[in-house]
Amino acid sequence: MAVREKELVEVQSDGDRLADGAGGLLDRVIGPFRRGLPPAAQPSTGFYTDTTVCIGCKACEVACKQWNQLPADGFAWTGKSYDNTAELSATSWRHVKFIEQFTPNRDTRVPLDLVAGGSPENRWLMMSDVCKHCVMAPCQQACPTGAILHNEFENVYIQPDICNGCSYCIAACPFGVITRAHFDGHAHKCTLCYDRQKDGLVPACAKACPTGSIQFGPLDELRRRARERMEELHHRGVPTAYLYGESDGSTYSALNSFYLLVDRPSVYGLPDEPFNPWLNMAGDYARSLVGALTAMAILVAVFLILGR
Amino acid sequence: MATDARARHGLTGYAAEPVTKAPPWHGLVACDLLFNNLTTGLFLIQALGELAAPDAFRPLSTTAYSSALALLVADLLCLVLDLGDALRFHHMLRVFKPTSPMSLGTWCLTIYSVPLAAAVALSLAGEWPRLEWIRKAILIVGLVPALGTALYKGVLLSATAQPGWRDARWLGGYLANSALMLGCAELLALSILLGQEKATTVLRPALVLLLMLNALFFLCLLAELSMPLRYTFTPPELWYFMLVTVGAGMVAPLGLLLLPESSIAMLAAVLLLVLGSLAIRFAIVRIPRGLR
Repeated sequence: MAVREKELVEVQSDGDRLADGAGGLLDRVIGPFRRGLPPAAQPSTGFYTDTTVCIGCKACEVACKQWNQLPADGFAWTGKSYDNTAELSATSWRHVKFIEQFTPNRDTRVPLDLVAGGSPENRWLMMSDVCKHCVMAPCQQACPTGAILHNEFENVYIQPDICNGCSYCIAACPFGVITRAHFDGHAHKCTLCYDRQKDGLVPACAKACPTGSIQFGPLDELRRRARERMEELHHRGVPTAYLYGESDGSTYSALNSFYLLVDRPSVYGLPDEPFNPWLNMAGDYARSLVGALTAMAILVAVFLILGR
Repeated sequence: MATDARARHGLTGYAAEPVTKAPPWHGLVACDLLFNNLTTGLFLIQALGELAAPDAFRPLSTTAYSSALALLVADLLCLVLDLGDALRFHHMLRVFKPTSPMSLGTWCLTIYSVPLAAAVALSLAGEWPRLEWIRKAILIVGLVPALGTALYKGVLLSATAQPGWRDARWLGGYLANSALMLGCAELLALSILLGQEKATTVLRPALVLLLMLNALFFLCLLAELSMPLRYTFTPPELWYFMLVTVGAGMVAPLGLLLLPESSIAMLAAVLLLVLGSLAIRFAIVRIPRGLR
């Protein structure tokens, strides 16, 4: 493996050759404006994450890092949880959240049977978080370069050769998914293993998940499975089970990566009522216009009265 | 601070943390907000002045348009340097996307630079009576992209998921109104420095009115941002903020402008207005990070 890496370093890629001289400059300027033919549409795919069977093994995190060759984040105790990944970032596209719902009295030892019993006051909740691949994605609407698009699988994808790191997608995302990387200045997030999907493979995280918590497939099939699982949980005495992002809400579209949860969304670090910021845009433009036009009207009046 | 506040309200774990991530926007973006207002405001006021009262404003055209162009370059520099990959700035022009205020703004800025550069060139070329209609046409056409450039900035921030900004419905109104006020202030300073008394006589009362109008928009914005500001700043910082923005940036300039005609007082008022406006923009840009 080490020898192969050494060989790869010595091989100059096409990109490196083009970056040299006037040709490279021309390619840098014109290249981004070239358009290829869009690939033929495929059945929409996504993730359905059943948080009730997640065991917090973090195999999905490891598989994601390994397949996408994401660098390590370093190691630091958060001091707030057994989870030390802390958040999604440019180098962590999967993040297993540990929600530790225990009696706040630190002097009280929690018996193991209480943990296993899953009492609402004393329980672990686990959730493997990822980009939600929103049907109407604010990041995609915001992106001024066209780097963010819905690919042929209807997944939200950032084209790494186009993104210029303006960070507007970060500001627009209501789920706090996207981050700008310090090493290249570009925005990064889950690609839903676009490269693997094109080769007919399951995304690395879903492949690695040992409990079937992360399920991948065509969205219609996933929604059917999710509804059946929710009903099953209701019958088995978990009336709090519900689906998050499975269908359109009044202020936000459906998510192509949706969840089965058993507590409030905010407990999992999700917005209770996600809101697409673009719903305010027309009104905000109107108020801006009011601000400018009232000032212009005053100015013209003063200029006409005093300036002639 | 905001996280502490959430914990005080009994929220723990992820519920105590903000869901969104703050974009890595800092001082350059605050300067960009100011330069955007300064360049568009100056162009708009000078163009409106020339069209409505040419005798008073025409002598200021060369200096005003050249200054607006220099401020536009400064604004573009801030925008480019703030990117994660500055060498990819031109990627902004790959698409025209009205759903993105940043895309719309980039196109407005690009288009605005053309009539502005033409106005500078025609001003430097001197008096050409036969070409006067071209000059007027350029100014009228230039009003549209200049206005668009002034309008998009506030919407760019308010149409996001960031706490504080997302609730600031009057942010766009305030910034667009500020552009006109700051433009008026700049032109007043130029008219004083160039000894154009007629323009000074017109611009001084205009600035007083615009300053009072802008204070109304600021109050609307402040009402929406009062909670985020309280979480972003400590109480002493908040007092300094109010002192700098309202005291030094609004009340003091208004007082100086209402003094019996004094060039130094008016120039000081303009300087205070610009500094107060910069302070407000720094505070606005800081809000999402402060709320983390």
